[in-house]
Amino acid sequence: MKLARVRTIACKEWREILRDRLFFTTAFVVPLLIMLVLGYGLSLDVENIPFAVVDHDRSALSRDYVHRFSDSRYFDFRGYATSERALDPLLADSRIRLALIIPAQFQERLLADRPVAVQALIDGIFPFRAQTTKGYLSAINGQLNRELLSDYLARTRGLTPERAAELISPVRLQQRYLYNQAIESDWSMASGLLTLVLMVSPAFLTALGVVREKESGSIYNIYASTVSRGEFILGKLTPYVGVSAFNILIVWWVATEAFGAPFKGDPLFFFLASLIYVICTAGIGLLVSILVRTQVAAVLVTMVITFIPAMLYSGLLVPLESMGPAARSEAYLFPPVYFLQIAWGSFLKGLGIDALWFQVAVLAGYAALLWTVGLFAFSKRPRR
Amino acid sequence: MGEAALVNEALAEPVLRVRGFCKRYRRRSAVEGVDLTCARGEIYGLIGPDGAGKSSLMKALAGVLAFEAGRIEVFGVNIDSERAAEKVKDRIGFMPQGLGLNLYPELTVEENVDFFAQLRQVPAPALAERKQRLLKITRLAAFRARPMKQLSGGMKQKLGLVCTLIHEPALLILDEPTTGVDPVSRRDFWAILTGLLRERGITALISTAYLDEASRFHRLSLLYQGRLLDQGTPEQILARTPGSLIEFEAMDAGRILSRLRETFAQVEGYGARMRVFVPGCEPAQAKIAVTRALDGQFKAPLRSAEPELEDAFIALLNERGLVADDTRLRLPTDPGPVSDHQGQAVIEARGLCRDFGDFRAVDQVSFRVRRGGIFGLLGANGAGKTTVIKLLTGILHPSDGSGRVADADMRGAGQTIKARIGYMSQAFSLYQDLSALENIRLYAGIYGLDRKTTAERTAWVIAMAGLGGFENTLAGQLPLGVRQRLALGCALVHRPRVLFLDEPTSGVDPIGRRRFWEILFHLSRRDGVTILLTTHYMSEAEHCDQLALMHAGRIVADASPQAMILALQAEAGQLLELEVERPLEALALLEHRFEGVGLFGRRIHLFASSPDAAEATIRTLMQGAGIRLTALRARTPAMEDVFVYRVLALERGQGAP
Amino acid sequence: MTSPRSLPMGLWWRRLWVMTAKELLQLSRDPVLLIIIAWFFTADIYIIGSGVSMELRNATLRVIDADHSAASRELIHRFRPPHFRLQGEIFAHQEGTRLLDAGESMLVLEIPAHFERDLQAGRSVDVQLQVDTSNTVLGTLATGYASRIVAGFSEDRVRRELGLTDQQLAAVPRIEERQRVWYNPNQTDPWFMAISELMTVVTMLSLMLPAAATVREKERGTIEQLMVSPLSPFQILFPKVIAMTLAILGGTAVAVFLILIPVFQIPIKGSLGLFFAITAVYVLATSGLGLFIATLSRNLGQVSMLVIVVLLPMLLLSGSWTPPEAMPEPLRAAMVISPLYYYIELGYGILLKGAGLDVLWDSLLGLAVLGSVIFSFGVWRFRRQLG
Repeated sequence: MKLARVRTIACKEWREILRDRLFFTTAFVVPLLIMLVLGYGLSLDVENIPFAVVDHDRSALSRDYVHRFSDSRYFDFRGYATSERALDPLLADSRIRLALIIPAQFQERLLADRPVAVQALIDGIFPFRAQTTKGYLSAINGQLNRELLSDYLARTRGLTPERAAELISPVRLQQRYLYNQAIESDWSMASGLLTLVLMVSPAFLTALGVVREKESGSIYNIYASTVSRGEFILGKLTPYVGVSAFNILIVWWVATEAFGAPFKGDPLFFFLASLIYVICTAGIGLLVSILVRTQVAAVLVTMVITFIPAMLYSGLLVPLESMGPAARSEAYLFPPVYFLQIAWGSFLKGLGIDALWFQVAVLAGYAALLWTVGLFAFSKRPRR
Repeated sequence: MGEAALVNEALAEPVLRVRGFCKRYRRRSAVEGVDLTCARGEIYGLIGPDGAGKSSLMKALAGVLAFEAGRIEVFGVNIDSERAAEKVKDRIGFMPQGLGLNLYPELTVEENVDFFAQLRQVPAPALAERKQRLLKITRLAAFRARPMKQLSGGMKQKLGLVCTLIHEPALLILDEPTTGVDPVSRRDFWAILTGLLRERGITALISTAYLDEASRFHRLSLLYQGRLLDQGTPEQILARTPGSLIEFEAMDAGRILSRLRETFAQVEGYGARMRVFVPGCEPAQAKIAVTRALDGQFKAPLRSAEPELEDAFIALLNERGLVADDTRLRLPTDPGPVSDHQGQAVIEARGLCRDFGDFRAVDQVSFRVRRGGIFGLLGANGAGKTTVIKLLTGILHPSDGSGRVADADMRGAGQTIKARIGYMSQAFSLYQDLSALENIRLYAGIYGLDRKTTAERTAWVIAMAGLGGFENTLAGQLPLGVRQRLALGCALVHRPRVLFLDEPTSGVDPIGRRRFWEILFHLSRRDGVTILLTTHYMSEAEHCDQLALMHAGRIVADASPQAMILALQAEAGQLLELEVERPLEALALLEHRFEGVGLFGRRIHLFASSPDAAEATIRTLMQGAGIRLTALRARTPAMEDVFVYRVLALERGQGAP
Repeated sequence: MTSPRSLPMGLWWRRLWVMTAKELLQLSRDPVLLIIIAWFFTADIYIIGSGVSMELRNATLRVIDADHSAASRELIHRFRPPHFRLQGEIFAHQEGTRLLDAGESMLVLEIPAHFERDLQAGRSVDVQLQVDTSNTVLGTLATGYASRIVAGFSEDRVRRELGLTDQQLAAVPRIEERQRVWYNPNQTDPWFMAISELMTVVTMLSLMLPAAATVREKERGTIEQLMVSPLSPFQILFPKVIAMTLAILGGTAVAVFLILIPVFQIPIKGSLGLFFAITAVYVLATSGLGLFIATLSRNLGQVSMLVIVVLLPMLLLSGSWTPPEAMPEPLRAAMVISPLYYYIELGYGILLKGAGLDVLWDSLLGLAVLGSVIFSFGVWRFRRQLG
């Protein structure tokens, strides 16, 4: 291994990256775009649910009831509809996601101490949102029911209002939100997205960089020279790992500045762990580039083998616990699982090497494995 | 016998030894059983058309391609694994096929050279010295800081050579270094290369598709479709293929050509000059045979000339039965568009200009081409030929100037022109994934032919291009020569009045090229199609009725080939051809004393205003250096002499303040 | 480009047809592209459709039970699958913190001593739940389910305490909530995911395929051959778009009839004919952007990079994951220029909601206007580049 030759190849590669404007731009723009697009676009906060009401009662109580919704930040009151029939097109056209139908005699029945049924129509297109909407709905109705009940008890059993209130809720749940007290979904998403970005972009850059040389024919300079496989791979990949190392800082900055995610862990540890992850994913790109011969194939293959594991099998979107046992053990075969634990651990939980050493070790193992396989699979004397 | 002795002596320890080399790609066989030995200091040529298996063999020799069967030894090392190949790679310089494709377009000239040097661990002082020297020889020193992607084809190729030589390899493997390069750059390239090889005692294995370059090799192998046809010195190969070349001038060229073709396989017409190769005959017998074939229809002095390697190559192919039966073309008759404006200009350019940013690619270009004429645009790479064609075909809009094509004004009637012209580009731009028939029908549809005409024209194209049996083959899988004729057929499907051809023959084997020219003649003479083309083959340029020489975007000469040759003789004097024993040394001696000295194969060409005085000078010079002069004769210059002389003069003029 | 003499209409159409047939033939000869198209319309949609589920299942829970009473056990055992998975009991607060840090447990429920005694005494008791909210979605869902469980537990106790029977309950003023979820009554995740992925695939391929077909002609030099022919730039480009639209429609049909309906059991409420018609309009619109990409690129590698750069913002502005109402104001305004936004509205509207043009005409209008603008822009750029 001659370091001078590694440096020569690395310098050449770096110059090429710098001067190919389109490539250079995409090298930095794509990670940023993924961060911003998915960070903002994947906002899973359910707020401002637009809803309409059909009020057959038009009483003071029914108006109060509607106010409980329109005053909540979770709901956005879009107006009254005249009839159930009028709701159909509104829901169908996604202008509202929820409709409440208040029956006639709403006030009359409540004042007569009788239950009253309120119909809620929920747009179920996106099940997660429907689920959450149902939850909010139940919470508001539950609160109202407790007030009605304690009021009723106070009136019928002659209790003080305070006593009645205490009586109807004997157990209270005190929630303590750890790591993300304000439940800022942006924080989780942004810091978690590092897993995706740092998986996709180094793999892309590396695969394209090597395949480009194969496609143009300049790879023959390497084949025909005495440069060893190791020197070539190291020299060729170093600039891409370098670009990706810089991208770590960029996306890190975006996560904390643009999305306001806190960073509670050890910056040096996190950077080094990310670097190992990036080396590992560059190794994925290396393997792809050895298998394929054209840039298009490189892009598509890389897309399939990086996006899907990072999105689906990392725990970022789909909770690992929710998977079947087979899928779950599959997920642990891919590096993103481990890096997501490092990212959330470092950003939100404030963990360091003592808690995360295992994950780092696994990533380092992957990196070593991928590069070794790449080293052996790369041939300076191919069959075609 | 200095050089020959050197070769014989060195044969004891060959640099390259190949035995029974076979290479296949999946099921397709590329090379079958090639044997070859190359001695130290030898310049060895691999000659053959596209698909002959040259590239596979060279890659295997360079240790960058695994192969299936056979044995390769380089510097005595058996190249049977990557590990074995690594042992010799530091002594090899390999330049793969494709103009500058192995260079890095974004890097500057100097950065490219440095990269190759550092890759090969050339120490800094040596690098500085070699870089200086090589860039100077190749005249690239002024362009050190220019990105490689902005170099012309000839410069890219020279830079490639510099990069390959920077670590001073003992063995140089160059794969088609001159394809697609203009004659001046090619000649320049050869001069640099032979100089360096001699100086450093480097062994070189070089492939080429230009048979006229064959005489530059000490020894060579002729390859065709993965098999070895013959090998030896150029003289040996010529000697093994006996035959005579008969030349004469005839006015009624078309009729005479078709008459001769009934008897002879190798007949060519260069304008009025006829060229017949009669295999297996002495010149005297050959003359009789030609006279008999002409059947008293024509009386003119027949000259015998020395056959070229190209004649031998084709004769070999004919002899081995490797040429398809229909080589002797039976062109289908085609009434063609009838025009009574015979003699009127069909293409007319008036002061055409085209700028790309600050760069003026075409500058005040004016010319006229008559109906049925074949007009050739010549010029070095980057002279602006392709841009002129693009302007006339409407792919590009002129920045200034005007013109008429096919009786319509270029500016106002783009669409009318487009319906009346045919175009074929350098790359034979067919749809490779469509079959031959599908390609033809596509163009028929684009030009809006009706069903009946489509059927007629399809049949015509298939007959013309000799596509019988290939109708349903994908265009990408056709042999290059057939693909080229298919592209021509597609350009002709709508019976255009004017045909534009941009380097239509590059990379095609000699038989394919000859056949292609026969078709062009037929079109121009019988159907009155006007043809404008560019080419780097100067022998082809002589087929044209009229030539224009372009330099730096301008037309610097515009005349018939004969007129150009006469003008050159008037200006530069008589062309003398020398045959000497050690041509390279002789060349060095003569260069300072005469104009237009150049190596053509093993012969030296030079111009002299007074031949007798020159002869005396030459004899004294040769005697002084102890070089035996085997022959010295006056010759009519060929187009290549004209081109090289003119372009070099222009380049010198440009270089002067 | 107008022709000096007016061309017969038949010839114009014939050229269009010949070129379209050529594109389709070329596509059929490109196994790599065909495999890619097949992959995205089948396997990809299947993987994403069945793989992405944001339900909370088996959330890991540890308990610190300082009471060990019948009441505490009753509460603990209400944390059951499918939502929760009880991992067992731990005894120290620090142990809980460690497990949460390591991500081995997601929730720790702490029940105080004297839980049962206090309840019986009629005092209200606080139980504490620590939730790992590094994944906020899961955190929120888990908290929601946990509060419902605790509320249910409370309510049952209250009823028992007060001795309220069901009959008596009918004489208590309360809101009875009748929730009905429309369009996807069981909230099956694959319905949403598979349709959303189908639309993403359609978008990606409408950007990619026409751009690739165009750049390939540039790369191989055949574009010059076409430019010297009497074809106008529109006649060169539009057939590519038609051919690729047909291919994408074919792929969509495969996805609908082989994946969406049989595998995911999606009930198609509206008119499939209308859906395909709208898909065609959408593909035409988006391919204009593809042509724009083609003008910027020199080779297929660049095309694929640029497709990603264009595709990502389109997905952001589509409203598929984040509906407009949850977007920040500036982005919500920008959605008007994203064709995918209209397509998603129309797509879900037709497939799941059974809406017709009477309801969706405004989205269709938006798509049509936007599409023609984008497409004209693509052709204009191309014409300018070639001229």
